Amino acid sequence: MAILKDFQYHAPESVDEALDLLRRSGKPVLLAGGTFVLNTLKKAVAYPTDVIALRKIKALQGIADTGEGISIGAMTLLSDIASSPLIRERASVLARAAACVATTPLRHMGTIGGNVASRFFWVDLPAALVAVGAKVEWAAGSGKKVLDIEKFLALKGPDAKGILVRFLIAEKHPVGEYFRHTQAMEVDLPLAALAFAARKQADGLKDVRLVVNTALSPVVRLKSVESLFENTKTSRLKEKEAAAALRRDLEGGKLDDYRLQCLCGDMEALVERLKRAKT
Amino acid sequence: MKTVTLDINQKTCVLEVRDSELLIETLRDRLGLLGTKYSCLEGDCGACTVLLDGNNVLSCLILTLEAEGRKITTIEGMSPGGELHPVQQAFIDAGAVQCGFCTPGMVLASKALLDKNSHPDKEDIVRALDGNLCRCTGYVRIVEAVTAAAKAMEKTS
Repeated sequence: MAILKDFQYHAPESVDEALDLLRRSGKPVLLAGGTFVLNTLKKAVAYPTDVIALRKIKALQGIADTGEGISIGAMTLLSDIASSPLIRERASVLARAAACVATTPLRHMGTIGGNVASRFFWVDLPAALVAVGAKVEWAAGSGKKVLDIEKFLALKGPDAKGILVRFLIAEKHPVGEYFRHTQAMEVDLPLAALAFAARKQADGLKDVRLVVNTALSPVVRLKSVESLFENTKTSRLKEKEAAAALRRDLEGGKLDDYRLQCLCGDMEALVERLKRAKT
Repeated sequence: MKTVTLDINQKTCVLEVRDSELLIETLRDRLGLLGTKYSCLEGDCGACTVLLDGNNVLSCLILTLEAEGRKITTIEGMSPGGELHPVQQAFIDAGAVQCGFCTPGMVLASKALLDKNSHPDKEDIVRALDGNLCRCTGYVRIVEAVTAAAKAMEKTS
């Protein structure tokens, strides 16, 4: 017996062709790496009429230095992001987060676009992309737009129907750390994660961004911790002070004690690592 | 139904497949390549591992139509002419095979690692095999086999 029920498969070669198919099809679903979508279809009650595969669209491929920053095509594999020298140098938190996702074969199949466009709270990359101030090029019926990643993640309903083309990272964030907690094994989905990105200068950390993923709600920027770190020499940072600022930032979020303790521990570990690195 | 041209174990196959057909179904049920195993069908166990352009991937999560234009290697393609690949020989020598159900996936994932990293340490090996479950061996002998295979491949290169 066939594992998947029938649907019509399409492999358009341009974003416009894919958008046209998306508009014309009865119940379409976009296929990037397939690790979420095909698994879901095995159990789905509401089944798509059309599967629109994105793998042949050249505009969605590759990692490039544009001169103004990095461009990462939405169909770039997680394994390629984890091993890219360019991303490791300029957005190391993103490479670290990509290296943590699931297992080796799933990283060889899953794409950055699929990870982010799934809009699941429990995926790893949104926190890292917010930490490096990424923007997304987004193609929808109303045309192409460049949006801040946070705005993209907040799109809902018909506004969220479109195709993620690429990610743009303008600023350099060579200092990056990614902490992640799972229920049992490393390869499990994260229960909580902390993404940190910054630039290092002689007079202290610059452009600090700290983002928490609780897997329960959209990612949260830690504004109090960011202001504590900004322009501060790492030797002056204090573990307990940073953890207290994190608690302030997450106050009112109804976060359970377990996750909060994990994140406070991560914050202390982050400060310790930064001090050791003599930034 | 669509016509698809696949490069499987360095042979070209032209087939009529359903749009929704998964690569594992094509490999096992149409082509009789039974080393690729049906198991969890959710991408958790690695028993359906094949190499796609040299990367270990899960054939239960790939549409056959998505594999067109890419090089597919199954366990049957590891030993063309009947001579075992050093990874296969190392698995036998180290006693890294018990029931054998996970072995094709383990061997292919190990080959994918060693083709990119000829001197893996234990951590590299454990990480590279993190998508392949074994319920018999406890993994110790599998890691030993991959270490031995790396040394054997270094000698022959």
